[in-house]
Amino acid sequence: MATSWLAWFLEALSKFLNFITFGKMLREEIEDTDLTVNVKFSKDLIIPVKISSDMTVQQIKDQLASELSIPQQELRIIFAGKELMDQTILQDFDVGDQTILHAVKQKQAQTSISIPEVNAETTCPLSDSIVKLQLTDSDRKTLGSSIDIRRVHFFVFCNDPCKQVCPGKLRVRCATCLQGTLLLQEDPQCWEDVLSKGRLKGKCQNDSCTGSDAEFFFKCAAHTPNTDNAAPLEHVKNNFQEVPCIACQDISQIVLVFPCEASHVICLECFLAYCLSRLNERKFVQTDLFGYTLACPVNCADSFIKDAHHFRVLGYEQYQRYQRFATEDFILKAGGVFCPRPGCGAGILLDETLSKCNKVTCSRIEGQGCGFVFCRDCLQGAHIGPCQEEDVAERDLTLAMQREDTAGGTLFMVDEDRASRSRWDKSSRITIKGTTKPCPKCRTPTERSGGCMHMACGRCDLEWCWICQAEWTRSCQGSHWFG
Amino acid sequence: MANIAMQRIRREFKEVVRSDEQSIKLELQEDNVLSLTGYITGPEKTPYEGGRFHVQITIPETYPFNPPIVKFTTKLWHPNISSQTGVICLDILKDQWAAAMTLRIVLLSLQALLSAAEPDDPQDAVVANQYKTKHSLFQQTARFWAQTFAGAPGPLNPDFQKKIDKFLEVAPRADRHTAIQQLSNFDWNIDKAIEDVYKSD
Repeated sequence: MATSWLAWFLEALSKFLNFITFGKMLREEIEDTDLTVNVKFSKDLIIPVKISSDMTVQQIKDQLASELSIPQQELRIIFAGKELMDQTILQDFDVGDQTILHAVKQKQAQTSISIPEVNAETTCPLSDSIVKLQLTDSDRKTLGSSIDIRRVHFFVFCNDPCKQVCPGKLRVRCATCLQGTLLLQEDPQCWEDVLSKGRLKGKCQNDSCTGSDAEFFFKCAAHTPNTDNAAPLEHVKNNFQEVPCIACQDISQIVLVFPCEASHVICLECFLAYCLSRLNERKFVQTDLFGYTLACPVNCADSFIKDAHHFRVLGYEQYQRYQRFATEDFILKAGGVFCPRPGCGAGILLDETLSKCNKVTCSRIEGQGCGFVFCRDCLQGAHIGPCQEEDVAERDLTLAMQREDTAGGTLFMVDEDRASRSRWDKSSRITIKGTTKPCPKCRTPTERSGGCMHMACGRCDLEWCWICQAEWTRSCQGSHWFG
Repeated sequence: MANIAMQRIRREFKEVVRSDEQSIKLELQEDNVLSLTGYITGPEKTPYEGGRFHVQITIPETYPFNPPIVKFTTKLWHPNISSQTGVICLDILKDQWAAAMTLRIVLLSLQALLSAAEPDDPQDAVVANQYKTKHSLFQQTARFWAQTFAGAPGPLNPDFQKKIDKFLEVAPRADRHTAIQQLSNFDWNIDKAIEDVYKSD
């Protein structure tokens, strides 16, 4: 009996708490509703208008008509690819503080033609049409008819100032004059409609423009004024079905859903950990369609992240590293080499027509490259004739060092043997040389810490034999797999 | 990153503890969640039947995106497990690992590996060779190892016992483990086993 009383009391308490916090949210919303929107009439004429929570398009037209001395019925208001109807309440239509609306004078001759062409839902804001794409069939089933579209978001990566995943806004402009005066013919039906240019058509209402291609762009909804500096993240979604993260098994509100058939879900925190661990192991995959990317952590087929912007969650520095690895990987797969000069390391694609010649020049282009000319085979300075034996090259280097030592005069007596052993660079180079073998393809020094003779290069993916120093074959497996 | 690993392991630990499978068990090593001991019992109708095998499980910081590092600490004679180090050759502990797998699955897979060896993808070449060419000797050896190191029941093979005693007489500096290892490596041919010990001295 006592326990049921307690349960009842706790439930009542939580209901009460819910009630008061909800009430507070509601009040804040009301206080927050005096916004300023900017109405752009031409390139130079922008009129700021204060709007209240229930203001309609009709009312804003009245205000503009008197300021612009244009009859109210000839004004059309365009926002995010759609004409706003007179009875529309502005704030229902995704209009926020500092939003730019476009006002145009009706083109006389076209009124009767252009309007029937428009099939886009005029009662639905543009962002909502893409937000609906975020819902899966089962989302619809779970949520039923009670979908509150304002709870659904699509997401962008905001580079500045948020530097994180934020709810996004979708906007459209005319691809010709780059003004927001384009009326869309139809709503986007899929992400491709939005992401590839010119798939959707419209009609630019700007007097001097005849443009008909739509160009979509994204804004971050988390701050005003919005910059255009936001990249859409099509795999990031609201987790309405409360699917637990595949890694930590917690249920997060915002998750990344891989495009595999099983739609594996990972929370953003674990996604970051996943990207970092794969980046540290250089285990991203080079694909033809989506570049340097990752599959889902269960290795499903067709589960690659389709757009590199998702990896921006790595943060600025690690994202740069990701880009560097992507470039290096691309160069290696294309049979290129890296400049061996310490501190340079520029990637060089080789011209196939020169393949008989071993000489490679690290050209100075666009601030990259150091001008070093080297041999492709031994990665030493360019030479005529066959490559030198490595220990000969090493001896020459030691001799050169000794000459440098003695040329400096004899103010101090230095034991040459000791001096040569005390060189940080040289001794690590000797250690590396002594404990590693170069990958037969990309020549990356590789250490074998144990196990069998079957090596897999972490850089170029070549599978090679530690004993033969050549590609791994069945006969290596047969005769000397374990040494 | 380690937080994700620790959180995951706590859940998986509970999963194994709660499940009523008698044949697998997990224990924490001290208070460190990232280092555990697992136990599996040898499957029925195998030379390992009735034995209790310990594995040492180390969780990498990048778990569950990378597999746990697992090796047997109980010595055992099996083509896919090193008879000297306990290192295991199992695809799901290497490139077939997926983030959706758990320690429970790992332990059950190890048990399955004991029932069905893959001699064509060996970890221990000597054992694999014996498995393929002298299968009955392999089974007797595996049984002897399970009885000696994993507490499997039943009388020990008297022939093997005799050979061990003789080996220790000839090579008094060697211990019993070395004797068993050497004799097993040479298909219980005592002359070759002894010769090899002196060769490596």
